[in-house]
Amino acid sequence: MFYREAGQFKTSYAEYLQALPLREDKVGIAIWLLLAVFYVPFFGLPGLEYTFAMNAIMIPVLIFTITALGLNILVGYTGQISLGTGAFMGVGAYACYKLTTYFPDVNIILIILASGFVSAAVGALFGLPSLRIKGFYLVVATLAAQFFLEWCFIRVEWLYNYNPSGAIEVPQREVFGIVVTGAAASPATRYLVVLGILIFLTIIAGNLVRGRIGRSWMMIRDMDIAAELIGVRPLRAKLSAFAVSSYYCGVSGALMVFLWLGAAEVESFDVNHSFLYLFMVIFGGLGSITGSYMGAAFIWTFPILLKELGKRVFDIDSIIMENVSLVAIGMLIVFILIKEPHGLARLWQLGKQKLRIWPFAH
Amino acid sequence: MKDTKESFVTEDGRHIGSVIMEMRNITLRFGGVVAITNASFDIREGEIRAIIGPNGAGKSSMLNVINGFYHPQEGEIWFRGKKRPSLRPYEIAEQGIARTFQNIALFKGMTTVENVMTGRQLMLKKNFLWQLLRIGPALDEEVVHRRRCEEIIDFLEIQAIRNSPVGSLPYGLQKRVELARALAMEPKLLLLDEPMAGMNVEEKEDMSRFILDVNDQYGTTIALIEHDMSVVMDLADRVVVLDYGKMLADGTPDEVQKNQAVIDAYLGVEH
Repeated sequence: MFYREAGQFKTSYAEYLQALPLREDKVGIAIWLLLAVFYVPFFGLPGLEYTFAMNAIMIPVLIFTITALGLNILVGYTGQISLGTGAFMGVGAYACYKLTTYFPDVNIILIILASGFVSAAVGALFGLPSLRIKGFYLVVATLAAQFFLEWCFIRVEWLYNYNPSGAIEVPQREVFGIVVTGAAASPATRYLVVLGILIFLTIIAGNLVRGRIGRSWMMIRDMDIAAELIGVRPLRAKLSAFAVSSYYCGVSGALMVFLWLGAAEVESFDVNHSFLYLFMVIFGGLGSITGSYMGAAFIWTFPILLKELGKRVFDIDSIIMENVSLVAIGMLIVFILIKEPHGLARLWQLGKQKLRIWPFAH
Repeated sequence: MKDTKESFVTEDGRHIGSVIMEMRNITLRFGGVVAITNASFDIREGEIRAIIGPNGAGKSSMLNVINGFYHPQEGEIWFRGKKRPSLRPYEIAEQGIARTFQNIALFKGMTTVENVMTGRQLMLKKNFLWQLLRIGPALDEEVVHRRRCEEIIDFLEIQAIRNSPVGSLPYGLQKRVELARALAMEPKLLLLDEPMAGMNVEEKEDMSRFILDVNDQYGTTIALIEHDMSVVMDLADRVVVLDYGKMLADGTPDEVQKNQAVIDAYLGVEH
């Protein structure tokens, strides 16, 4: 009744090939965008304290959504599993740190976007084994990348400017007179910068996966032999997926350190984080952009909200709640993946389908 | 069939051109196992060429040689007047050879129309930057090729399933989608590996009609492997018979049917 395509006629293929062909979807996205741009930066989230809502939920969720988008391009769209996500984010973060050390006057947002290219190059390099090995063996190869890069982040002192603590500390940088990074930057500014980059990267990801390049990725994922016979060069398709994916990871890594954590060392990029990002992608929905959003938001906020709930409603100690939330999220992941192996995005799609034919069953 | 190098017109009015592909003394070995021994035959432009033989005769290996999965140890392959060097499968796709598979090899995560669209992959030329923006020339290109794909979908009468995920389609329709995908490449030579395996009589009739239509309307040269002799005898202009990797016979369906070696090895006699 509220959501159906009846009466919305498409008279050209260009109209038909839009990202959101349905009017209702466009309205929905517009509402989300308006809330994100005009409500959240001023009021945070309802029921939560403002700085907590921004620093603990909104900013990390948006940053991890970029990570999840990138990882989804590799895992969901191209079918190449990677456990090196954390390290590729680290490459972006360290690259950003070095670049802004050498070019302190250049716009920090441009530097963040540029540092993704360093990560893309490293990602493509570690993607080379994917031409020969598949599945679990490729996981092991990307794990090697993870450990090697972690080693670099500790041993190559040049990366953190020979800081005795071994950490990178984010300097204060201004863009057009507004403080964007460092301790003096307001949560709203940092949030809006991250949001802008996320929207930009989402549009690009959406464009790529619907066009020739995205199809070549999906062809490799679904049936690599047939893809090769249709003219897809496996080398080009796989390495471009690794490069684009690592670009997203690199940008999100740089954002994570510069606009969220403020300082970081190697622990922020370890293999546990790689697993976390893989959870986000699998749980949200492989091969789905909406799924990347849902997965990142759910995996990150669920334990936090559960902890808040325990504290406020049942007055349980937060350390106990932390363990409870670990158990709960583990059970929930297993349960949902048994019920719906294609993740939250698939549930969302089914819900929309139900709504489309409502009040009828078929 | 006349054995000349020039083009001619068949009795039913189809135009058969000169030789488009020639296999000369192909020998293919896997270690000690010889899959194909010294096989030679040609394919003429515009004809329907059948490759038949019992299981394990080397038919599919022959198709794999043609589209570059296997590289024969001996022999030469001539395509469109040139000796073909050893190429990768994607380079052979660029030369205009498409194929379907014995065990369906569709892209299961995509819908019918997306699968057909993958056939246009080599014709989409706009670079990474345009793809990333998806405006102007990149979108125009996408629209042009999308239109061609929809025409092929109409041609093969699969409009009803154009937005269905291919994984959930019945077997016969999947085979047809695979044919549509191969046709979307606008190939000069189309290889069909058992296009009618596992189909019932009606589906076989449909598929036969489509194969004839494709040959007729697009003038596509077709080489097919098939086990159903009545289909082969009706469709094919010429037939190659393989057995244990050796060529038993090569000729028109009538000639092949009367060949004693073929009867002994493959066709058998009616009791």
